[in-house]
This record gives sequence, structure tokens and C-alpha cells, in this order.
Amino acid sequence: MSQVYKRELVFIVTGVVALVMMLDYFFGKNIPGLSGSGGIAGQLQTWALIIQLMAIGLGAINLIQVHYRQISRKTDMAIYSIIFMVFFAFLLLLGLYKLFTGVELYPYTWVFANVYTSLGTTLYAITGFFVFSAAYRAFRARNVDAAILLIGGCFVLLANAPIGEVLWSGFPLIGNWFNNVGQIPGMRAFTVVGALGLLAYGFRALIGKEKGFYSEAS
Amino acid sequence: MGVWIVLDTKFVALLLLIASFALFYAYMKLAQGGMKIKVRTFPAVAAIPEAIGRAAEMGKPVYYSTGLGQLTLNNQLNGPQTLAGISILGYTTRLCAKSGVKITYFTPIADSLPLVEETMRNAYLAEGKPEEFDPTTAINFQNEQSPYLTASLGWIQREKPASSILLGGFYYESVCIAEAGNIIGAMQIGGTANTHQLPFLVATCDYTLIMEELYAASAEISGNPDVLGSLKGEDLLKFLVLALLGIGFLLALIGNTSLIGLLRL
Repeated sequence: MSQVYKRELVFIVTGVVALVMMLDYFFGKNIPGLSGSGGIAGQLQTWALIIQLMAIGLGAINLIQVHYRQISRKTDMAIYSIIFMVFFAFLLLLGLYKLFTGVELYPYTWVFANVYTSLGTTLYAITGFFVFSAAYRAFRARNVDAAILLIGGCFVLLANAPIGEVLWSGFPLIGNWFNNVGQIPGMRAFTVVGALGLLAYGFRALIGKEKGFYSEAS
Repeated sequence: MGVWIVLDTKFVALLLLIASFALFYAYMKLAQGGMKIKVRTFPAVAAIPEAIGRAAEMGKPVYYSTGLGQLTLNNQLNGPQTLAGISILGYTTRLCAKSGVKITYFTPIADSLPLVEETMRNAYLAEGKPEEFDPTTAINFQNEQSPYLTASLGWIQREKPASSILLGGFYYESVCIAEAGNIIGAMQIGGTANTHQLPFLVATCDYTLIMEELYAASAEISGNPDVLGSLKGEDLLKFLVLALLGIGFLLALIGNTSLIGLLRL
């Protein structure tokens, strides 16, 4: 029975919060005590931020649990979990030192600037290879639609590659037309239907009919 | 005393919002009253049991992710997409629990963790197997985009999941994860309302939920007639928007931009 109450409470809170935020958007300044940092809407946003920050702590606990389990079970991946734990403790100590003393130690910034940022940029760069292999499959002319996609794609490619303009001055013109005129109506149609879908989803959440995100879907 | 409601574009937006909600509500009531609602089926949703069945036959796990989602549920564009993805996660987890298939959910969104854990726990509970749910193995959390992507790519390479389901607010990780799934031959179902990632998911996945289909999927899964009624209302709203577009276009042709001015926020 308590499970039922708990479940219903989730949907009631979702609906009430959605209603308050909507009222804030449309009538914020005209309803006393609704807007601003001291208003109900502002307070709810602050709560959301606090919950978000607490959830990061929850995530850190989840990470420690997962990696502790890997280490205790001595799995093949245990070595990586040990590396994670060491770095986690190391950065946590440096972060706490900064928090209490206000002094940012060199290793703290060094790890971010020379390890984290570099690895992140490298990972982003490999996207190019993944896009390339995905494009290779997408551009196979298996039917008329795919053939049209291939032709359009070739023009856009040659418009962006320096060699395109060298081969023929018309490539950038046609390629840019595809980019700026040809695809925009389609994308805008997607945006409009996406917004309408969001509207319907929001309405279902508002009146407590959207129960899938608490495993009501069956 | 200030004016409570100002007749501006925001007020027009409010009127349109109320009209839309009234339309959804009317169709939901009509559906409750016994009106037959025919909603098109989404191949991507119909493929989910097939994806889980494939995993059961192969004895391999299922990869599930709702994407970067700007790292929070508290984001106007991505929060609802993450929620929609979690809705379908509940359904997928139930199918997995029923078939004895392991599912691992990857996310960098910290504030979605309690909701995800409860959703998955409820799904196992609904199948009468609460003891089989272990959050430390079923949920894989990373706090940033790069660690999330690295963890996903590594896991896909090591575990070689039979199926990969990517539904939510994705960014550049979509093409990397979906391509990694393609390399190992996983059956892939994707979906997002982020226009910049749609082409990647369409190119790499076997089935795709495009834009509003992501939000509509959970309604279709529920099979609840009154919830399906809102989809019918949404379809009608599309025609109204098309009509507004047409009227605006014709008015603009004769030099009258008043409708554009009224609808611009």
C-alpha cells in the first residue's frame, strides 16, 4: 500500500511543480511570492540544484561501490578499478585541501589541464572516424532515396572541401544551397513536431498520466 | 495595481497552450468514453521485444543509455528526453527481467540516478524477481561526457551486447556509441529529439524514434486508451500548426506580417 502512495506522490509532485513553473513563466511578476529568488518558483529551482549536487555525491558512491566490487572480486578489470580509486582519492584530497585553505595546488590544475582536457579532446577527435564509417554506410546507393542522399552529400562534401572549388566553382554554390535552403525546411518541420510531442508529453506528466518513468509502462 | 495579464505575444502563447491542452484533454476523455483510437505503431518500439529476445537467445547483455542530456534532468530541451528514455527503460527492464537478460544502463546524469534505480527496481519487482536487481552492475554512472563515452565504448567492446538501445538527449557520443555497436554487430534502436544527432542515429541504428516519437513511445507502450487519446490530439494539433503556417505564409505574401509578430516570443 505504501508503495502505491509513494508512486502517486511522485506523480503529484511532478504535476504540481510543472504547474508552478508554468505559472511563473506566464504570470511570474504579477503573482506575489511566485517569482524571484525568494518566490516559490525560485525556491523550487534552488531545490532542484541542491538535489542535483547531492545526486553527484550519490553517483560518486555508486562509482566507489562498483569499483570496490571489481577489486574485491579480483576480476580482470581490477587493475583499472585500482587506478580509479587512487586517482579518486588523490583528487578528492586535493579538492578538500582547496576547499579548506583556498589554495589551489599545482597538481590539481595540472591533472585537469594536461590529463583530463587532453584525453577529452582526443576522444572528441575520434568522432571524425566514427562519422566517416557511418557516412560510408549511409551513402551506399541501395535505393532511390539513398542515391539522392548520396548526390546531395557529395555536393555538400565538395562545397566544404577546398578541392571542390578548385574542381568547379559551382560546387560551393550548390553545396551551400543544400545546406542553407534544402535542409532547413525539413529540420524546422522536425523541430515543430518535436515541440508538439513535448507539449503532449508535458501535459500527460502534468495531469499524472505519464507514468512510464516510474515503471508503469507494461 | 498593475495589469494582471498583458496582451502580448506571451499571452497569445498561453492561449495556444491552453487550447492545445484542451484538445489533448478532449481526446483523452473521448478515448475514455470508448472512442476507438487508432495510433500508428512505431517499428522501433515493436523491435524492443525482438532486441531482448535476441539477447536471450545469444546469452548476451543489453546496453541502454539515455545520452548526455546536458548532464541534468533540469534542462528544458534534454530533461524531457531523458525522462522519455527512462520510461522506455522501465519497459525494457521488465522484458529483460522476464527473459533473464542482463541490462546495463549507462548515464552521466547524476540527478536521474534515484529515478532510474527506482524504475529498474520496480520493473524487476513487477516481474516477481526483485532479488535479481543489483544497482551496482545494472547502473553505470560517469559524471562527464568523455568518461561516459569511454566507459560505454569499453563496455561494448568487452561485453559485446546483443542489443544496444539509445533513447534520449544525445550529443556527439551518439555516433561513437552507435558505431561501436555496429562494429560488434549489435541490434540497435535509437531515438532522440535533438535534430543535430538525428542523422547519426538514422544512419547507424536499425530502428529510430524520430523527434516526437520518442515522447509518444511510452504512451504506445502503456496501451492506455486515454493516454493514446493525447497522441490523437497531438496529430490534430499538427494540422492546426500547418494551417497557421499556411495562413502566415499567404499573409506574408501580401505584406501582412501581423500573425508572425503575434506568434513570435
